[in-house]
Amino acid sequence: MKKLLMLLMLLPAILMVAACENQDTKDKVVIDFWHMSPVGSPTFSKMRAIVNEFNNSQDKYFVKGTGFSFWDYWDKISLAISARTAPDLGLSTIDDVYGRAKGGVLYNISEMIAADTSENNIDLDEFRESQKQFARYEGDLYALPFTSTARVLYYNLDILAEKGFTEADVPTTWSELKTFAKHFDVVEGGDIQRLGFDPTYGNATYHGWLWQTGEDFFDEDLNPTLNTETHEFVLQWIKDFNSEFSRAQLQTFGESNNMLGIDPFAAERVAMIVNDDGLNQKIVDAGGTFNYGVAPIPIPDEDGIRVNWGSGFSIELYDNGKNDLARKEASFEFLKYLMSEETQIKLAEANGWIMSHISAMEKYTADKPLLAKILVEVDYAMDKVYVPYAPSWHGNDWQPFYTEALEGKKTVKQALADARAHYIQKKQNWEATN
Amino acid sequence: MQKKGSLSKLKKQENRMGYIFAFPWMFGLIVFGAFPIIASLYISFTSYDMISAPRFIGIENYKILLFNDNIFYQSLGNTIYHVALAVPLGMFVGVVLALFLNSKIRGMSVYRTLFYLPNVVSIVAMSLLWLWLFNPNFGIINQVLKPVYDLFGIKPLRWYADASTSKMTLILMGLWTAGGSMVIYLAQMQDIPVTLYESAEIDGANWFQKIIYITLPLMTPSMFFNFIMGIIGSFQVFTLAYIMTSGGPSRSTYYFAYYLYDLMMADQNMGMASAMAWILLVIVLVFTMIALKLNKYVVYLGEEN
Repeated sequence: MKKLLMLLMLLPAILMVAACENQDTKDKVVIDFWHMSPVGSPTFSKMRAIVNEFNNSQDKYFVKGTGFSFWDYWDKISLAISARTAPDLGLSTIDDVYGRAKGGVLYNISEMIAADTSENNIDLDEFRESQKQFARYEGDLYALPFTSTARVLYYNLDILAEKGFTEADVPTTWSELKTFAKHFDVVEGGDIQRLGFDPTYGNATYHGWLWQTGEDFFDEDLNPTLNTETHEFVLQWIKDFNSEFSRAQLQTFGESNNMLGIDPFAAERVAMIVNDDGLNQKIVDAGGTFNYGVAPIPIPDEDGIRVNWGSGFSIELYDNGKNDLARKEASFEFLKYLMSEETQIKLAEANGWIMSHISAMEKYTADKPLLAKILVEVDYAMDKVYVPYAPSWHGNDWQPFYTEALEGKKTVKQALADARAHYIQKKQNWEATN
Repeated sequence: MQKKGSLSKLKKQENRMGYIFAFPWMFGLIVFGAFPIIASLYISFTSYDMISAPRFIGIENYKILLFNDNIFYQSLGNTIYHVALAVPLGMFVGVVLALFLNSKIRGMSVYRTLFYLPNVVSIVAMSLLWLWLFNPNFGIINQVLKPVYDLFGIKPLRWYADASTSKMTLILMGLWTAGGSMVIYLAQMQDIPVTLYESAEIDGANWFQKIIYITLPLMTPSMFFNFIMGIIGSFQVFTLAYIMTSGGPSRSTYYFAYYLYDLMMADQNMGMASAMAWILLVIVLVFTMIALKLNKYVVYLGEEN
């Protein structure tokens, strides 16, 4: 009897809550938007405000934003796309838009832009061609670049000042970098306390260094190169950079950073590091008090090319095969809102990302000299090629061989040869089934 | 005659009620169990990138895995190594623990709980914990073993950070959850008639002889059960390597299930991943069939048998 009474008392409250929710979405087209600011994250409230602003600005559409942590997001979106339960709009990586577009799971954005005659249509000239080219399939855009990352050399001005150096002394070539970095190594009792620089730390990658020589990982037919002198030169340079330390010393130092989950530059344990714009935001969020600056990544002494690995998120409209034109229209309207100059600035402020809108970012970084420098490097950024037979060619496939070479378990030549054989076998196997 | 008719009717009604009550479970088994299994069998004969529709390609995935994939054999070799050591060691530790805990000393229930606790700890939390313990530079295990290293003049073991010791490290880690099998052995031990031990004592048997001639033979049914479950579980080892070593160093802990996962998530090759799953099923089935054949030679099934 008591339980029945309690249920009867709660029933009006439940119905009221249900009614409230219905009121927000009543007579509106409801769409889903997935992003990377989950409840409880520092960026959640700002992302929610951006979504709410769109919802409050009109009464035709309602966007339900759902945030996932960065590391959970990728599995969720991949599986949702496969299961055709993807959100109406979501973020992904721009370098593999081709695969999704070819698979028919993305809406053709070029068609929607061409058909739209409103004043707030998307201005494609505000987005870099170097990014748009990744988002094209058979000539049309199937995604838009959402963020633009670039990698730069961060340097700790306080550590430089200890040895009497200033910003003007920051190296610009590989040999200068090696000589300069050695001034800041600190060893106590056989253990490294501080490193000047390491070419494997932060967001530095093998292919980032390789591209500065003008060489690429794959040729035009997506065959792995890897058997050239340039590859051997680059890998040997990376391996030998801190060769005066034993592998055990370097591993101890590296592991101490990893185990404690600290960024070595933010913790002032390295004087210089290659990283993207995200590191600046991390230092700001952590309340870092040391002085630091950024510069273009040093390039090879001879015929070096100023280039960095600039990946970025794409924003995509997913076609779940339901032929729901109302939701498609709503998604496009929300996309126009997200890609507008004003919203792109708000997104940069919310997430600390460099967004893809050129004018928006010029305005956003006008009073932020460090970010302005990073923004300049975005124009020199290049993204990695999509390899259908090895989508994770720079990660799962490459890392074991890279690590073996760096740890001296194989010679550089042997590691490169084994890696090349691995990619060739993968290509053969893929061609046999596709 | 009337009685027979009403009995048959009752039986039919009983059967119908049985099916109705079992239906929710059967529905779950078919939808969440049988359907995905049959679907994965079909997908294993297709090229499927999880975006476009699966395209039938016959046995190509199986041919590639069996005849032109070095990583397949490397991962299989790592897994067989793991099974060959982890299963017997796990059984040995479980039996020893059960023997120790099958005595009437004060606080025994507390000890049993403590030994079983690791089984309820999240495997991710456990992996992170052991990552710290086994850390070659800061880990407490190397700190404790330092006198031993100094005594023999050897360098500290690098545990999961060295290809030669990484698999053994994960196997040792797995022994922490031997409490799960220990509980099953303990339960079996409770069933052993006390009179057998009393008779043995009268005949002058010591504690070791009682274990060898009474306890262990009568525990063989539960040992066999844990052996089969251990084989099935060990062939699917994945989480430890995924959290602790990412399959390294040098793919030394790149197990079969890890390669299956990478084929699916990194390479977006669901067809080949499904083929790997079915190959694994066949391997486990073969091992299980061999074990079942040997059943009558190693398991004590009572006097009548």
